[in-house]
Amino acid sequence: MKKSLFDQGYLDEQFCQVEDLQDEASPNFVEEVVTLFFKDSGRLMSNIEQALEKYPRDFNRWDAYMQQLKGSCCSIGASRMKNECMSFRDSCGQGNVEGCMRSFQKVKREHAVLRQKLESYFQLLRQAGPAGAATRPIM
Amino acid sequence: MRPDERKGVVAARRDQFPVGMRVLAVDDDPVCLKVLETLLLRCQYHVSTTNQAAIALKMLRENRDMFDLVISDVHMPDMDGFKLLELVGLEMDLPVIMLSVNGETKTVMKGITHGACDYLLKPVRIEELRNIWQHVVRRKFSTRDRANLDIYEECNKPSNADSDHAHGHVTCGSPDQSGRPSKKRKEYYSEEEDEGEEDNTQETDDPSAPKKPRVVWSVELHRKFVAAVNQLGIDKAVPKRILELMNVEKLTRENVASHLQKYRLYLKRLSAVASQQVSIVAALGGRDPFLHMGAFEGLQGYQAFTSSTSLSSFTPHGLINSPRNNPAAFGTQRVSASKSIQTVTGGHALNHSICDANKYHLSSPGNQQGNLGQGMATSLGQTQMQPKWIQEETDDLSTIFSGNGLANSGMSATLQGVTSSPLLPQELVECTQVKVGSQPSVLTPSVSSGHLEGTVGVSSSLLDPRVSQQTTIPLSEFSASGLPIHGLFNNSCATKLGATSSASTPVHPSDDLLVARDTKAGASSFGSTMLLPPDTEQKYLNFGGGNSFKHKFDERTADSLFDLKFVWSSGLSSQSASNIGAHHSISQRWNNSSSNNSNIGARMIGQPSSSASTVAPHAKSDFLISGDMLVPKNASDLSVPKLQSELSSSSCSFDGLLNSIIKVEKDDVSFSDDLGCSDFYSLGACI
Repeated sequence: MKKSLFDQGYLDEQFCQVEDLQDEASPNFVEEVVTLFFKDSGRLMSNIEQALEKYPRDFNRWDAYMQQLKGSCCSIGASRMKNECMSFRDSCGQGNVEGCMRSFQKVKREHAVLRQKLESYFQLLRQAGPAGAATRPIM
Repeated sequence: MRPDERKGVVAARRDQFPVGMRVLAVDDDPVCLKVLETLLLRCQYHVSTTNQAAIALKMLRENRDMFDLVISDVHMPDMDGFKLLELVGLEMDLPVIMLSVNGETKTVMKGITHGACDYLLKPVRIEELRNIWQHVVRRKFSTRDRANLDIYEECNKPSNADSDHAHGHVTCGSPDQSGRPSKKRKEYYSEEEDEGEEDNTQETDDPSAPKKPRVVWSVELHRKFVAAVNQLGIDKAVPKRILELMNVEKLTRENVASHLQKYRLYLKRLSAVASQQVSIVAALGGRDPFLHMGAFEGLQGYQAFTSSTSLSSFTPHGLINSPRNNPAAFGTQRVSASKSIQTVTGGHALNHSICDANKYHLSSPGNQQGNLGQGMATSLGQTQMQPKWIQEETDDLSTIFSGNGLANSGMSATLQGVTSSPLLPQELVECTQVKVGSQPSVLTPSVSSGHLEGTVGVSSSLLDPRVSQQTTIPLSEFSASGLPIHGLFNNSCATKLGATSSASTPVHPSDDLLVARDTKAGASSFGSTMLLPPDTEQKYLNFGGGNSFKHKFDERTADSLFDLKFVWSSGLSSQSASNIGAHHSISQRWNNSSSNNSNIGARMIGQPSSSASTVAPHAKSDFLISGDMLVPKNASDLSVPKLQSELSSSSCSFDGLLNSIIKVEKDDVSFSDDLGCSDFYSLGACI
């Protein structure tokens, strides 16, 4: 399954790095990080959403928030989501409100999809047995 | 990793470096922070994290010695990453690496201009993190450049490989030095080579072969060096011949060559400063003799200088001399300065003025006349202290101060000369060290006098121990003449003088200086002096011998130096508090140059306020004192911290400063631990 995630571009090499960091000392590292990611990105996204409503055409603000979100995505290797973030920022740069709105919707969508996929992924890992890193429910 | 061992255990750190390097990671993004932390742990570094810049600063300030490196995100809600970067660099002189998703050229450029030693893009890869230790090493290496023998010895301890670190991080000493003669890198090497672990990505010269011990350019050694250079003529001095003349065992041509290179730069710096000084001197009316420290070359001569020959040519000379090690120059300058000072001072007042001048000098090279102190302080604040010859800086400062002081009375010129001499940081350090011990207080006043001495001639001369000698001489003289002068010398001579008058005057000088400083604001005379110092200081500062600066002035000089430095750096900004500011800048400068020094500088900069001026002097002394005390290297660090505290606390209590200085001395040892993280680190840990 992991392979498909990579093939479809949901995850990239950075995710591998994160996985590499997992070891006996921190057996659930990946899951922890991913959990943290979704929690934090949820917060960031709602910030963006609010900003889109409260501060119309405030591209700088939107861009700043999105930059943060993009940073998070990069850190765990959520590549499709990251791409959508980048296109959002491009729209901001162009002053394209419509484009921003559209991009943001895509970001949200990717976020939801990724969450779902990773959840399944961890479940599979857990099922794979004690060897698997996941030992507790993800998120 | 052995966190506990690491803490403050130089030896332990040293052996394991880069394993166990202490990193502070700052990022508001929790995901990224977590990943980063884990990556760093995987590299076997010791990691602390925080998501707020304010907390990070607090942690760093509380215990400067706690960390070796800082990694910070650019975009943070509570404080701009660049601002944090600047503050850390200024105050603590720690290497800072920026981190960001944004890799645009302009952003990266901004990071670099704000002083980041590296800029990484997110997502960060572990390979990149494996190499970040080089920044720590590099910084220590450069500041500690003329590390004294102590370090050498420390480093030399067979790094027995503490090979418990699994990480095969670099075995070679500083990555940037890998090609260099092992001697210089001994410390690092020794640490590294034993480790020789696998995966070392470092390109070392010869990972398995033991590196030759690093050569420590002690005052003595430097003096010989300068003597040889002078004998051959600066133009004709070639490493081979110098080596022959020096006739020192275990010194290789490469060592000499690189030292010569630094010396030349130092001289250049000095001359640049000197010219500035000259102008100042001219304004002052003349202390040519002092300014002429030209004696750089002859550090040896500095003794002779004392006789005042050097001083006159001080300004142009000292400043221009190669920034680095002009201990000789410094020495001479100082010497002459001292002499001149004495003569000039004639009046006690002069001393003050000189002192003040010096002080001002630092702060505002430009102001020189009026704001000497202040301008300098601020200008110096600019920090760019080059890690080079710490001593130089110190010397410079002293010179500057001295110049300043003299300027006022005419003596300042001398002082300037003195201060300008970019005595080699080493020497200065040495000198200061010596002095420090004896006269904490003197430092302050002596700073002015000392400065002159040192700075003037110093620029050209390497810090050679000679320089310190010179200073000493003046000091003694000064002490007799008056505190102010004494103070000056003290600083410059600090190291050497220690024995001489400094001891006696320690207290006085500070007072004088204080007085001088306080009055700086109004003292026009100072202004003149100040002019010079700024120049010189800059020179010194540039030398990077921030440390030296510290040492030298121990107390006094510290101030002046700082001032000078500040002045230079800031370009002589406002005078009023600038003195202090200068100090800061100086300290900063130093910091750049030497971890130690920088500490002081950083501190100083923080306090440009008027009250700071008073404090600054103290601060300086502290630095010096502490600097000296500890180890030439570390001393600076310590002093800095002390000074800092001193500065802040005692705005006008010069005495207080002295006390602190004195305390510093006592606590040097302890300080070094905390102060010089950088220094310390360099010393023992060599990271």
